[in-house]
Amino acid sequence: MLQMLIILGFSPLVKGFINKIEARLQCRRGASIFQPYYNLAKLLRKDAVVSETSSWIFRATPYVVFTSILIISLLVPVLSAQVPLNFTGDVILIVYLFALARFFLVLTSLDTGSAFGGMGGSREMMVSAMAEPAMMLSLFTVALTSDSTNLSNITNTLAHNSILLLNPSLFLAFMAFAIVLIAETGRIPVDNPFTHLELTMIHEGMMLEFSGRYLALVEWASSMKLLLLMTILVNIFTPWGIAGGLSVCGLLIACALYVVKIGFFAFLIVVVEMSFAKIRLFRIPNLLGTAFILSLLAIISLYVVR
Amino acid sequence: MVEHAPHLFIISIILYAAGSLFALCFYGWQRAGNFISLVFAAIASCFSMVASAVVLSSGATIRLDFPLYHAIIKYNFLIDPVSAYFALVISVIGFVASIYSIGYTRLYVNKRDTRFLGFTYNLFLASMLLVVTANNAIVFMIVWELMAIVSFFLVIFEHDNPANMKAGFMYIIMAHVGAAFLAIAFFIMFAHVGTWDFGFDEFRKVGGRMPMIYKNVVFFLVIVGFGIKAGIFPLHLWLPMAHPAAPSNVSMVMSGVMIKTAIYGFIRFYFEFLTPCPPWWGVVVLIIGASSAILGILYALTERDIKTLLAYSSIENNGIIIIGVGLSMIFKSYNLMALSSLAMMAGLYHLINHAVFKSLLFGCAGNIYYATHTRNIEELGGLIKRLQVTAPLFLVAALSISAIPPLNGFMSEWFLFQSILNSFQIPSVIIKIITLVCGAIIALTGALVATCFIKAFGISFLAMPRSDHAKHAKEVPAVMYVSMGLLAGLCVFMGIFPAKIIMTLNPVCAHVLGINIGKSLVAYDWMQTKIVETNFTALSPKSATVLGLIILAATLGALTLMRPRFVKKVYETWTCGMSPQPRLEYTATAFTRPFKTIFSNLYRPQLEVRTEYSVLNYFVRSITYISGVTPLFENYFYGPVARFVLGISTGVKWVHTGSIHIYLTYIFITLIILILFVGK
Repeated sequence: MLQMLIILGFSPLVKGFINKIEARLQCRRGASIFQPYYNLAKLLRKDAVVSETSSWIFRATPYVVFTSILIISLLVPVLSAQVPLNFTGDVILIVYLFALARFFLVLTSLDTGSAFGGMGGSREMMVSAMAEPAMMLSLFTVALTSDSTNLSNITNTLAHNSILLLNPSLFLAFMAFAIVLIAETGRIPVDNPFTHLELTMIHEGMMLEFSGRYLALVEWASSMKLLLLMTILVNIFTPWGIAGGLSVCGLLIACALYVVKIGFFAFLIVVVEMSFAKIRLFRIPNLLGTAFILSLLAIISLYVVR
Repeated sequence: MVEHAPHLFIISIILYAAGSLFALCFYGWQRAGNFISLVFAAIASCFSMVASAVVLSSGATIRLDFPLYHAIIKYNFLIDPVSAYFALVISVIGFVASIYSIGYTRLYVNKRDTRFLGFTYNLFLASMLLVVTANNAIVFMIVWELMAIVSFFLVIFEHDNPANMKAGFMYIIMAHVGAAFLAIAFFIMFAHVGTWDFGFDEFRKVGGRMPMIYKNVVFFLVIVGFGIKAGIFPLHLWLPMAHPAAPSNVSMVMSGVMIKTAIYGFIRFYFEFLTPCPPWWGVVVLIIGASSAILGILYALTERDIKTLLAYSSIENNGIIIIGVGLSMIFKSYNLMALSSLAMMAGLYHLINHAVFKSLLFGCAGNIYYATHTRNIEELGGLIKRLQVTAPLFLVAALSISAIPPLNGFMSEWFLFQSILNSFQIPSVIIKIITLVCGAIIALTGALVATCFIKAFGISFLAMPRSDHAKHAKEVPAVMYVSMGLLAGLCVFMGIFPAKIIMTLNPVCAHVLGINIGKSLVAYDWMQTKIVETNFTALSPKSATVLGLIILAATLGALTLMRPRFVKKVYETWTCGMSPQPRLEYTATAFTRPFKTIFSNLYRPQLEVRTEYSVLNYFVRSITYISGVTPLFENYFYGPVARFVLGISTGVKWVHTGSIHIYLTYIFITLIILILFVGK
């Protein structure tokens, strides 16, 4: 429950933080880091405009997307490696819950009958399909290193046996997962979240027709997705200091470390975004192919090292 | 109860036979004849369902022998848990399809001979039940042929369409090639039996004694023989032709269960007759399964005919089931019985899942065809407002097949991933890596399936209608969607309550592999809800669903509290200032265009743009855009084979002179040669 609130509450902040640093590095002042909260609050107070060609799928999607992301937030260890609901599902369930959200978003992109939506949806599916094998193989590497696919067990094992973290295969898996994270959350160099041209949109293209409450839910869900994937990355590959139990003191330390780590990775994302241009659409498979090869090497080195 | 199971089974076969004969009786009154035959089929399916459920729950093995005096063929049947499981799947799908057909065959009233449809349909269901229970090679071959021939007649039911006739002939030829391979396999095994008995019981005993070389030969013969029926690449050619050609109610059964009889064959041969098998057999089966899965879905992706799309997707799903079987074989050859059982369970779980959601999808395709008289999804659109019941059913099936939780497709893929992860216990490093790469392929396949079915659902049901067919569509008769509702309910049930399915599957795995892992898979958490557990992790789709519902309710409640009078203004879609038209919508071809570019090595896309000008070269009158996919397998695999066969047959044509004297000479020479051989 607590971690759901953390993810729910902090995800817009992370987005605002990234935007702010990016603006700073571009020598702009940028909006306040709380701007995403103002946006959400404004959007939630507004009425919505719905296309007359759309159906109940369009109206159901924001709720489905929001709910599935929130279920994931209950399963991911955030501050403590002990997740009370960890029997509910493992990392495979998490991957497929992301797929559930994506499924409905892409359906909606076709629902309004506008070509921009379909274009975004089609490209989103391409990117995610190409990212899927790399994601699975890097998660397999982690799962095989720690003998579990349950995120909370993985974090526990890795936090207590730091020697496992020196495994080269985990490093390769980390690289692969980082590339997948960038692709999945629609950041540069795969997709530009700030684009204003419909023809270049991928993720934003699908959300073009949403407004008011619906837009708020979908926006919120996508920032939570970013934070969740970052949390998974942080807590799998750098689980230092994460609380083992549920004691207050441990949680406080973990919280401080968590903020530092997420901040660091957010900064890394900004650096990547600053130093690359968005690549051409049909170069994306090459990038994700690299991620796949990295994760394959991770698996092979895992077996060779053993 | 178990002692009545054979009686129930015999009654169901008799009912099927009666149904098929009744259909022929009503000469001038076709509708009634058709109706009665379908009702008989449904009742018969109920009987076989009960019979197989009883056998499955008791885990017993029941023999059915028909001792005929001085019979050359021994009519032996055997219902063990494996047969019972397949019979259960067949009868569940048969039951639903029979009810569905009552509505669907109205499409053919006064247009075609529906009596014939009823006649063959009943025989088809009965033959499948007999295939999975036959306990004698000769009986098996007879019913296997019966199944092929009867389904051939169902494929060419709409025989005035030349494409259907071509599909039918392709099917019957390939089915017979497959049968020939199987016959050779049976004969090779028979040669080692030593008695004049083709019983499967003898084969079970002889398998271990056969020399390795013969075992390998039989292994490959069986792969080809059953592989043709399963539609594995590159033996799939008939499947995307025949399944769309058949009426949709028949496609339901063909795609849902008929192609599964091949899996039955694999299990019988590789786990009972040819044991113990070397690890590389499993690897071969695994690779075949993985390549069928990925190639099947890639071809489905570019397809515009909805039934052909579904047929290709059946190839993909059969590939996934075969991956499960292959993994199970690998584990078994290394004597890791519990894991072997887990992988087998994953495969069999996916088998029933696929049977359920694929029949549902074919039912939806049938509804679309019933309502719009077209199968081309580019001509559809906006059906969600016209077929209001079909749309959610299609959505459930599409979600299930894309392995989205909490529906059933996810559960079987989850089990498959768990068994793939467990491959770290295999001693050989190469096999470990191959297995994990197969896992990556399944992940890629899953994402492609999602794309494919988003396309199928999104283009045909959402946005605006693209043609008049779609604009004037009306919902189908209630009997059709009610029967499909049963399947959709099963999709949800099997996804949320996996423990029940595991307990159903447990006797099957226990019978084949001799180890009972059902108990160790089911556990309870601290809230005393049932969860599924492997040595890697636990999963409880039930509590995930409950959590999801709670969160959904909380979100809705919070939003309503925040702004009780939330208004939705309805307005037309913004299309840069033009009024929205169907022509502006994204098409199915465009939706999958990125994949065509990425996988252009496989697709070899062909593109032709023809521009017609009017008087001057500045004014374009029309632009024709033709795009297509090169059929690689037809060109590079079937082409050479067909040319080779034709070449040989032209070469030996001179033998057929047409003169009876020459033929008598042939017979005489053959006789002499035979006498010489036997005389030795």
